Amino acid sequence: MKNVLKHLTILLLVCFSAFSHAITIKDSKGSFTIKETPKRIVVLEYSFVDALAIVGISPVGIADDKDKERIIKPIRDIIDDWQSVGTRSQPSLETISSLKPDLIIADMDRHEGIYKDLQKIAPTLILPSRRETYTRLLEASAIIGKVVNKDQEMQTRLAQHKNTMAEYAQQLPKGIEVQFGIALENYISLHPGKSYSGTVIQALGMMTPDSIKDQKASVRSGLEQLLSINPKHFIIGQYNDNNILKVWQNEFLWNLLSAVKSKQIYFMDDPNVWSRARGIIAAEIIAQDLIRLLNQPK
Amino acid sequence: MKTLLSSFLLALLVAFIVALSLSLGAVSLSFEQILSGFDASSEFYFTIHEYRLPRSILAILVGGMMALSGALVQGVIRNPLASPDVLGVSQGAGLAAVILMTIFPSVSIFWLPWAALSGGIIAALFLWFLCGSHSGAIKLAITGVAMAALYSSAVDFLMLTKPLEVNNALLWLTGSLWGRGWNQITMLLPWLVLIPFAFSLAKRLNLIGLGDDVATSLGTSISMTRLWALTIAVGLTASCVSICGPIGFLGLIAPHLARRLVGGRHQVLLPCTMLVGMVILLLADLVARIINPPIELSAGIMTAIIGAPYFLWLLFKVR
Repeated sequence: MKNVLKHLTILLLVCFSAFSHAITIKDSKGSFTIKETPKRIVVLEYSFVDALAIVGISPVGIADDKDKERIIKPIRDIIDDWQSVGTRSQPSLETISSLKPDLIIADMDRHEGIYKDLQKIAPTLILPSRRETYTRLLEASAIIGKVVNKDQEMQTRLAQHKNTMAEYAQQLPKGIEVQFGIALENYISLHPGKSYSGTVIQALGMMTPDSIKDQKASVRSGLEQLLSINPKHFIIGQYNDNNILKVWQNEFLWNLLSAVKSKQIYFMDDPNVWSRARGIIAAEIIAQDLIRLLNQPK
Repeated sequence: MKTLLSSFLLALLVAFIVALSLSLGAVSLSFEQILSGFDASSEFYFTIHEYRLPRSILAILVGGMMALSGALVQGVIRNPLASPDVLGVSQGAGLAAVILMTIFPSVSIFWLPWAALSGGIIAALFLWFLCGSHSGAIKLAITGVAMAALYSSAVDFLMLTKPLEVNNALLWLTGSLWGRGWNQITMLLPWLVLIPFAFSLAKRLNLIGLGDDVATSLGTSISMTRLWALTIAVGLTASCVSICGPIGFLGLIAPHLARRLVGGRHQVLLPCTMLVGMVILLLADLVARIINPPIELSAGIMTAIIGAPYFLWLLFKVR
């Protein structure tokens, strides 16, 4: 009896879906179904804003840490204005609810604990974003494309992105070792082989240092550890003036770094593209940055 | 008479702040809108019934329980600086939670409160094992503080060696009511059983306040009372910490404020301490929610902002 019922429901669902574009996909928590194309979307991580922007959708709410500048300019230029729903780590559920969304896109790493609450507000798609690789983020974007009923556009855009990245890769030296890190107050946070920027560097036909190739997201490193990793090309995010480089640059060990010796050390000052955005547009800008930096005449 | 008035005013204050918590937030609601929020079809249903109401109830439960636990510990250790923290329970719970988050990051967040709860209880059992039931209050407190320091340094060690998971762990360790709801309330409910037991200890706690010798000669078993009071305090603290994370200073300052209002008789002090704890946590969470919406701060940060200076003041006064 139970089985009959189950089949009947499935049959009904299938019939129903023929009328209403119902879509079922697999997200990080299992099966996700949405009956209609969502119009009011709230997103809780930056990479999801990127995924919506590239298919021309503007979210109504973003967990932007109450700072619109954190959404990188190329994306801000595409999407309409939005309302902040608080921080990514503790988004304000009542603000989300007040926006009356019909879809919430949440991050598996940050928001698993409030998944049930989010579901009470609106259908919630939960996908990988934080501490994930470039490939996994591309997959997440493809899923978002299906859910917002823009599968075709998304596939086209992703294919175009692949070509763009391949063209950029042509303009970059093959197989050289590039490391990205952020200079903080007491140490450098290196983004290793399985981090977003690390995997973008690899996707562009370059390498990341071998010794930390299997680490995810960030490796905290002092000067001695940095010297043992000793990246050939080193790109450093200096997001505020009060960072450890001030101290390190006067130390003996600093001048032993091969990137310093060969003047293959570069500085960036915008934290949003390389570290936070983790999207397709960000990957293209990173590629452009790399072309500009690595092809400078010495 | 005065104590009755104070308790009545405190209860009124609790009700008033609950009303404020329901009405204020990222969106301010009128009285009618709040009422409509209890109806499942209303557009404010989520905001009121699923968000602000459970959060206020949780603040009442956790505020009351943590404060009561503080009053019990101060009652038997007879030191104004004592709090549930000197038993190392919150730190033990914190360590268990951080171990789960850093070493087993793939484990579902569902297990977090259970890990923290067992961590807190294991820490208490370990303290009991180290001190036995017949040792003096000072030995107990000093051992507890030492154990607490040990657990905290283990937490620091884990966070230094596993920097990836630090953000989640730090967030949990500040203590917050964000993202907690009816589920967490049902997890706390069984622990409310401890409250009447705590109240039944009131008279014996009064006697202990007169000194161990006097209490013994008046027929109170010091070690039994202490064991009971501390066991109840451990249960209350561990259950609260497992849900909300270690909300700092609550168990320390609430009993002090209550003592100033109604004096040291535990029959009155214990319920009043609970009311004061409720007021503090409700207020801390309200402020954390509305100070810069839609940014949500942690209630634990707020209690620390109030609590830390008060603690210093106490320290100087005691000396």
